Amino acid sequence: MKRQALTATLIAYAFLAPALVLMGLFTFYPVFYGSYLGFTDYTVADLASGEGPRWVGLKNLQFVLSDPLFQTGILNSLKYLLVVPLLQIASLAVAVLVNQKLPLMAFFRVGYYIPVVTSISLAAVMWEWIFQKEGFLNWSLQLLNLINAEGRFNWLLNEHTALWAIMLVTFWRGFGYYMVLYLAGLQSIPAELEEAATLDGATAWQRFWLIIVPLMRPTLLLCSLLSTIAAIRVLEEIIVFTGGSGGPLNSTYTALLYVYNKSWGNMLNANFGVAGAAGLLIALVGFALSYINFRLTREERGER
Amino acid sequence: MLKRWLTASVLALSLSALAQTQIEFWTYYLSPNFDNYIKSTIADFEKENPTIKVRWVDKQDTMERDLTAAVALGKAPDVVNLWQDSTFAAAQNKILTPITQLVNRNVLNQLYYPNVLDMFVMDGQVYGLPWYGWLDQGVMMYNPDLLQKAGVDVRTIRNTDDLLAASARIKQATGAYGWLPPVKDPNGASFLGRFFLEGLPVYDKDGKAAFNSPAHVALLQKYVDAMKNDVIPQELLRKEAFQLSNELYSQGKAAIVVGAPTTLNRVKEANPDLYAKTRIASAPLGKAGIQTGGAMSLVVPRASKNQSAAIRFALFVTNRTNQVKFANVVPIVSTAAGSENDPGLKAKSNDPLEIGKGMNSASGRLINPGFKPPKNTDDIYKNFNDNVEAAFLGRKTAKQALDDAVAFWNANAK
Repeated sequence: MKRQALTATLIAYAFLAPALVLMGLFTFYPVFYGSYLGFTDYTVADLASGEGPRWVGLKNLQFVLSDPLFQTGILNSLKYLLVVPLLQIASLAVAVLVNQKLPLMAFFRVGYYIPVVTSISLAAVMWEWIFQKEGFLNWSLQLLNLINAEGRFNWLLNEHTALWAIMLVTFWRGFGYYMVLYLAGLQSIPAELEEAATLDGATAWQRFWLIIVPLMRPTLLLCSLLSTIAAIRVLEEIIVFTGGSGGPLNSTYTALLYVYNKSWGNMLNANFGVAGAAGLLIALVGFALSYINFRLTREERGER
Repeated sequence: MLKRWLTASVLALSLSALAQTQIEFWTYYLSPNFDNYIKSTIADFEKENPTIKVRWVDKQDTMERDLTAAVALGKAPDVVNLWQDSTFAAAQNKILTPITQLVNRNVLNQLYYPNVLDMFVMDGQVYGLPWYGWLDQGVMMYNPDLLQKAGVDVRTIRNTDDLLAASARIKQATGAYGWLPPVKDPNGASFLGRFFLEGLPVYDKDGKAAFNSPAHVALLQKYVDAMKNDVIPQELLRKEAFQLSNELYSQGKAAIVVGAPTTLNRVKEANPDLYAKTRIASAPLGKAGIQTGGAMSLVVPRASKNQSAAIRFALFVTNRTNQVKFANVVPIVSTAAGSENDPGLKAKSNDPLEIGKGMNSASGRLINPGFKPPKNTDDIYKNFNDNVEAAFLGRKTAKQALDDAVAFWNANAK
């Protein structure tokens, strides 16, 4: 019996092995090596002359923490987190709507999902057109009499709006993805529960808050965790919309852009030590936020 | 018997391996458009040098990354196509073999225009062989309809001040922009180029940054005002002037493009009618009366295992015959000395593109690389651009922006 169990375990590991090896090679090893580099002095010149990293302790961390550009980056990345609750609320709400058995629902589900599979470079062309001075956004605001012709401006060239404009694109891109996850969660809720509640006279609002939301908590946790991590690591959108400059006036310069520009972005001048240290700090922020996420859901579970 | 036979075959095999040196050649964004040219040049080279085989790889966005990675992995390519900033960065980080260790400097001086060769000199050593070049100002291409509508006579546009004045009139009369000057391109520090073109120094005689005199401030202010009045589009702060000019000109929303005549290839594709109408004149210059420009380089990494074959190939690709051939495929500026008199570079018809090519390709001796970039380039240029942007967005006065940029520059240039 014991032997059988052992065999079963071994077989399980054998199945896991290919994935584990690949992850070890391409995920865990880079993570550990990158973290190690954060404590070393290691530049392209060292790399080219075959010299290894030199241990410098906390020097890089001190440098990064005192670099105003990194501070700006962290601040902007934290602002970016505001997209998380909005994204979650909206995608859950829409998931509930498209979960109805009404005509054309498949069409809407596909429609909401299209941005997820649209290439960002392509989407950027459309969004740039929306955000420009003579663009759709200003045109709509003018139509609603919220601004006049003199009040029009390019949303990507104003340091007060650029980050929000790019956040809107992230929202648009992520929305369909989370909607599908919520939809899957919703479809796993037994229909009898809702029917029973309806018979007991619960309103749609009560059914949503008292049945759907509590049963969806695991999905909510997963989605908010995923989108928190995605928000703190945002890079693609920034590079596409600002050419990697994080402008105007560094208002869209995020923490990960700092890492990128210290390494891959300027490869022939790369400073892997500084990039590693900055990456480590961002990972710490990510860990802290994940912990808060878990903590919040666990407490709520305890209350029930 | 068998043993002898075996020894002989092994010997023969290793001899043929010795005789055949394979080198790897990396270009930057040349495939697929110039496949034929590159392949035929390689074929010509291999014919002349039967012992050397060239493997060609075209790198694009990931060039710098791949080069660093290949060097680190011990699989360095032998000849690589870089540009001025990247040649400097690679040389500073000891990735490159000084060309002067492989070829005598006097030979190089005879083969290439000295102004271009000098672009790749760092600490007294040449680090790259000049390959194809370009002129930033190149020629002036214009939409005659828009100019006529605004009552602008092209003959009155002789310098950059005239260009700005004409742009204001064109904008007012037609709603289209005139000229789109580079003021803050994402790579490099474009506005320093504006100073240079107007004859204002970037450095003082001790090599310190000194671009905050009243004349510098006044020049920046002139462009800031132009943007404030929408004579030049604010979008120039976000997009490369070259890209934006292309887009707007093809749509009939900009009247003038100053730059390489290759720009017209895109116009030809996007708007053939406008292409047919487009007229060409020589480029108006700044007060300094010079054309700035640049050139690609061919470098040999220190980690290359076949340096003599590599340099032989690099010299072949960059020689006058091959650069002139290249110029006939696409209007690059040849950087090989003597190209201005090469019969291969005379215009062959009245097509605007043909005339532009003729005026352009033979003008390598006019390429002025401007000023030497400072060390610690990335940080310093970023700070400079941030300050210029702050001035354009009205968050700093022109004076404050330049004072701040100079202070940062002098504190951080290693």
